Amino acid sequence: MKIRVLILFVACLVGSACSEKKKDHLVIGVSMLSMQNEFIQQVADALEKSAKTANVELIVVDAERSSLKQVEQVESFISQQVDAIILNPCEFEASSPAVEKAQKAGIPIVNVNSSTKSKPDAFVGSDDAESANMAMELIAKHLNGKGNVLMIQGYMGQAAQLDRERGAKAVFAKYPGLKLLASQTGEWDRAKSMSLMENWIQSFGDQIQAVFAQNDEMGLGALQALMDAKKDAQVYVVSVDGIQDARKSVEQGNLDATLIQNAEKQGSESLRMAVELAQKKKIKESNILIPFEIFQKK
Amino acid sequence: MKNLFLKSPTGGIFIALVLVCLLFGSLTSRFFTPMNMSVILNQVSVNAILAFGVTFVIIAGGIDLSLGSLLAVSGVIVALLSQEGSYALWIGLLLTLLAGMAMGAFNGALVVLTKVPPFIVTLGTMTIGRGVALLLSKGRPISDLNESLNFLGSGDMMGLPVPIIFLIISFVFCQLLLTKTVFGRYVKAIGGNEMAAFVAGVRVNRIKLWVYVISGLFAALAGILLTARINTGQPNAGLGFELDAIAAVIIGGTSTRGGKGTITGTLLGVLFIGVINNGLDLINVSAYWQQVIMGGIIILAVVLDGLYQKMKK
Repeated sequence: MKIRVLILFVACLVGSACSEKKKDHLVIGVSMLSMQNEFIQQVADALEKSAKTANVELIVVDAERSSLKQVEQVESFISQQVDAIILNPCEFEASSPAVEKAQKAGIPIVNVNSSTKSKPDAFVGSDDAESANMAMELIAKHLNGKGNVLMIQGYMGQAAQLDRERGAKAVFAKYPGLKLLASQTGEWDRAKSMSLMENWIQSFGDQIQAVFAQNDEMGLGALQALMDAKKDAQVYVVSVDGIQDARKSVEQGNLDATLIQNAEKQGSESLRMAVELAQKKKIKESNILIPFEIFQKK
Repeated sequence: MKNLFLKSPTGGIFIALVLVCLLFGSLTSRFFTPMNMSVILNQVSVNAILAFGVTFVIIAGGIDLSLGSLLAVSGVIVALLSQEGSYALWIGLLLTLLAGMAMGAFNGALVVLTKVPPFIVTLGTMTIGRGVALLLSKGRPISDLNESLNFLGSGDMMGLPVPIIFLIISFVFCQLLLTKTVFGRYVKAIGGNEMAAFVAGVRVNRIKLWVYVISGLFAALAGILLTARINTGQPNAGLGFELDAIAAVIIGGTSTRGGKGTITGTLLGVLFIGVINNGLDLINVSAYWQQVIMGGIIILAVVLDGLYQKMKK
């Protein structure tokens, strides 16, 4: 009995929400990958903030890393007849039906931070290859386009490793004076990369001028080995991600630079796109790449 | 002298180790330097300490797959207890070692009481341990550790890096425990024939429990050293370390069926893996080939060792 009353009550609520549809502001549904993740949380905060200034009502839900849940959430957005949907996809393939369903229902959908197989109306995010490219450009600038570089790779064959390698290789092609002394995998791991760097110090010694690590954990491991060998002052170390430990290390003057994905911009830009699409405005560029930010000691 | 060498159960792996050293020495002049030898010993210390502990488990006829996770939990615990301005170093170390023994006792108690195969029990505790490490650290690396903890990872004492000193002490301790005590003899007896040992009056369950406690204790010590070395407590540390440690034990001639094995053999097995890792980096073999070569050399070494043992007879 109690349950029936509850169902009735919820039905009334939903009904009133729907009948309220014709109102003066836009309603946008947002499904996020996981609110446990610090970075995703920052994107969500930025979305809320820009929504407030744009007078947009946001319905934010957490997919808790389940693409099944995410598709269901988008289905419920569709039945609520929201004006637009912002999707932070859980998976490339499995979150695709969410995009297809929204488009079939005629509701514009914007992907933020990562992509799906089905093409949404707009994409806002950052490019892994670009982060590696920028990191290597910093190294090239530091060495004046000429010198010996070591590269620590992620797990071989993973998308992030392949993209970051591609981005880095482009810079080597651009500066013929840059020499890749060696490149090995540190498996995204600090301890593994520390051992790798110790071995490299044995084989290359004072030839080493710069190190590019494909993530911060590995960069910090390599740095630890360089510090123990008292070589950190003469070797320029750059890594990617901007995790808290890495930023702290940069501030202490140890790590030379890290690259940060701009959560705030990803949030505000995806909201702007969703609003424009909901207002049926013509969009010039549907693929917006937010540049990484260089974090280094001033 | 020649006879003595041939009789040694670890002769085969010793020859293999000398051969890979000569190989790398001929490929690069950077290999046989005192500095590089010190780097190798330093790098293998964590794996060696894990492997010494698990040698007892394997000789007793068991297995411990939870090593890597226990190492991670211990590493996180010691990092949490060694935050700048918290407890004195020795308190953190003591509590971490006790935690390691408790986790080992949990493994041992499950094996003894439930009669579930240790492979399954420790597979379960491996997953539990990883989860506990993530819970304790909230999924993030724990940094800002005491200087004194870092000393254990990168300091020098009596001209030797501290991890190498821990390696030597652990080696001597385990060697004596296995060869000079009643406990060591019982461990071998249980692994050789559990029923016979029981009939002969060995308290089988108690000894079995203790081998897991020893394994847990050394996993905790390895966790402390790793944390000290990289100067952070990492919940993801030690992924797959159990396999490296178990591989070293087997390469070192300890029987997977239990009953026989030596600590010296385990040390040689650890060095063998460490030298290959180091050498492949020195001669800069591509990351893809490294794994293929590593696996190939290990299989080759064990096969040759088998032939060698047969020849001796």
